[in-house]
Amino acid sequence: MKKGFYIALLRILAPVLAIVLSALISSIVILSIGKSPLQVFYTMFKFSLSRMDSVAIILYNATPLIFSGLAVSVGFRMGLFNIGVEGQYLIGAFFAALAGFSIKGLPAAIHLPLVILCGAVGGMLWAFIPIFLKVKRGVHEVISTIMLNYISYSLIHYLIADLFIDRSQKLIQGLGSILARTPKLSPSAMMPKLHGFLGLFGLQLPRHVYLNWFFPLGILTAALIYYLLMYTPFGFELRAVGQNREAARTAGISPERVYIIGFLLSGALAGLVGLSDLLSYFGYMDMDFPRNYGFDGIAVALIAQNNPFGIIFSAILFGFLKRGAEGIQTLLGVPRETISILQALMIMSIVVITKIMNDYIKRLEKKEEVRLCS
Amino acid sequence: MLVGELLASSLRMAVPILLTALGAVFTERSGVVNIGLEGMMIVGSFWGALGAYYYGPYFGLIIAMAAGMFMALIHAINTVTFRVDQVVSGVAINILAYGSTRFLSLAIFNMATTSPHVSGLPKINIPVLSGIEPLKPLVNDISPVIILALLLVPISSFVIHRTVFGLRLRSVGENPLAADTLGINVFKMKYAGVLLSGIFAGLSGAYLALEHTGMYVEGMTQGQGFIALAAMIFGNWEPKGALWASLLFGFSEALSFRVVEGGVVPYQFIKMIPYVLTLLVLTGVVKKSTGPAASGVPYERGLK
Repeated sequence: MKKGFYIALLRILAPVLAIVLSALISSIVILSIGKSPLQVFYTMFKFSLSRMDSVAIILYNATPLIFSGLAVSVGFRMGLFNIGVEGQYLIGAFFAALAGFSIKGLPAAIHLPLVILCGAVGGMLWAFIPIFLKVKRGVHEVISTIMLNYISYSLIHYLIADLFIDRSQKLIQGLGSILARTPKLSPSAMMPKLHGFLGLFGLQLPRHVYLNWFFPLGILTAALIYYLLMYTPFGFELRAVGQNREAARTAGISPERVYIIGFLLSGALAGLVGLSDLLSYFGYMDMDFPRNYGFDGIAVALIAQNNPFGIIFSAILFGFLKRGAEGIQTLLGVPRETISILQALMIMSIVVITKIMNDYIKRLEKKEEVRLCS
Repeated sequence: MLVGELLASSLRMAVPILLTALGAVFTERSGVVNIGLEGMMIVGSFWGALGAYYYGPYFGLIIAMAAGMFMALIHAINTVTFRVDQVVSGVAINILAYGSTRFLSLAIFNMATTSPHVSGLPKINIPVLSGIEPLKPLVNDISPVIILALLLVPISSFVIHRTVFGLRLRSVGENPLAADTLGINVFKMKYAGVLLSGIFAGLSGAYLALEHTGMYVEGMTQGQGFIALAAMIFGNWEPKGALWASLLFGFSEALSFRVVEGGVVPYQFIKMIPYVLTLLVLTGVVKKSTGPAASGVPYERGLK
């Protein structure tokens, strides 16, 4: 009992250690450009947490990362690496935008869920290609999803700059051309902000904050994924395949079936990643639509060790880092890329520390066995 | 001479893929998967441009290889010493490479995405052949790195198949336990394989910056590190196979430029060609080719 507590403590300690270690190494980077690390970290905290609207922006930043972290973690849980969340969310966002601007006259109660569904379906379709190639032809999902990411960049570019470009725009003065973007989504497809709800508790958010209902939806999704993984037969099969594929096969589970369903689920979650930005901030899709959420999701999932509730916290951590990066760039002139370095270091230190710790736990358990036997 | 020019441009496009694919052969033969090759190319292109900007192209090439090797060292420490998931470590290497080059580019050049113009190595003409009219685009005014890359194919092949080092490298990738019992230092061989791949990828990045573009541009590697992995698989984990596969990819890119000039197909679809080709190639060959038996599996002493 006491040892179980000790092991649980170690597991919680690992991400904390990883964050501290990567902050220490980043300090060297900050020192190298002649700034003080302490001042940088202090500014990050002060800039991000001293005001209510800034905290709301952190939660808004965290929203897409909850979904992408969940999408990546579902892959990890069954032993697959979905690096393709990046492409899947772009395709999903486009599908959602398509349903948002082409359908008109529906009430919001039908239109909005339909748009969200289209986003999930888009992500799922893009995830189907690599998993089909894996199961049928043995193509490793890592390379195929990376290739599909590049393909999706070009495809999205074609779709929004050519095929579905908004032709109703006025010509830009002096440029003689129109912006490469889709038509505006109809208002019934947009996600309401959380301002009204928070107003009930006396919390007033300014208009430049776009925190919306996708944030609570993300928390709900995390809870649903947790339930699915831990309390349903499919979740059990998925984890069994992730632990040991051949043992699962012996137990009568078809890993191929689990791979396909699990990967499609991962793709559907990925399809929701871009919707918070699309349906609250942008209202259309253009070339400036945010990138890299898919890659951030890998780091989010790893730091949370694929625990759905942990993902909420690590997504908020990354939302904080993004906000803090803006702070140190504007206030101190420290490049925001410092935070990319910090994130990469976090991934490495978390995997290394978890590995060392697991070996240590294994040794502890072995010692216990020896003691019991003698 | 259109065909000659097309071939020459295919060769120019193939060289970065070839160099990285050769590196990939070394690391995979030692049993370590290296997804971080893309990142190692990125640091190679940046440090190559940086070194060349201050101290000339030769120094640029050397510092690019050193930078690639440094990233490879991180990958080796992660995967060989600490035995963490090789793909995860590779992804972290890529993010680190992206973030650190942007950071340094801002800090040194005051621009996040490009470096000033840098000059490459002096171009050379191959004697004797350069007189023959149809071969002119292929043998005149070419970068010495192209010659180096082509020479490295038989050299790598020789090292892998005909030297003690190569034999040990392969044995470690096929069956590390057996190699260990024979007294081969498994960890040292894996380090050697990974570090070599970093040097090759760094050189490849430097080629892109110095010889191909004349400056460092963010994102100039365009996933060629990943394409190189596919070329290595397509080439069946052999340097010679990697050469043919790289030429195929180089040819598709060179051809796509010509099609863009034609203007019939939207250029976004032309841009997809190398990636679609990679997918098709992997779909077609993967089941037929087999890699080293212990590739991707961390080796741990005292584990059955």
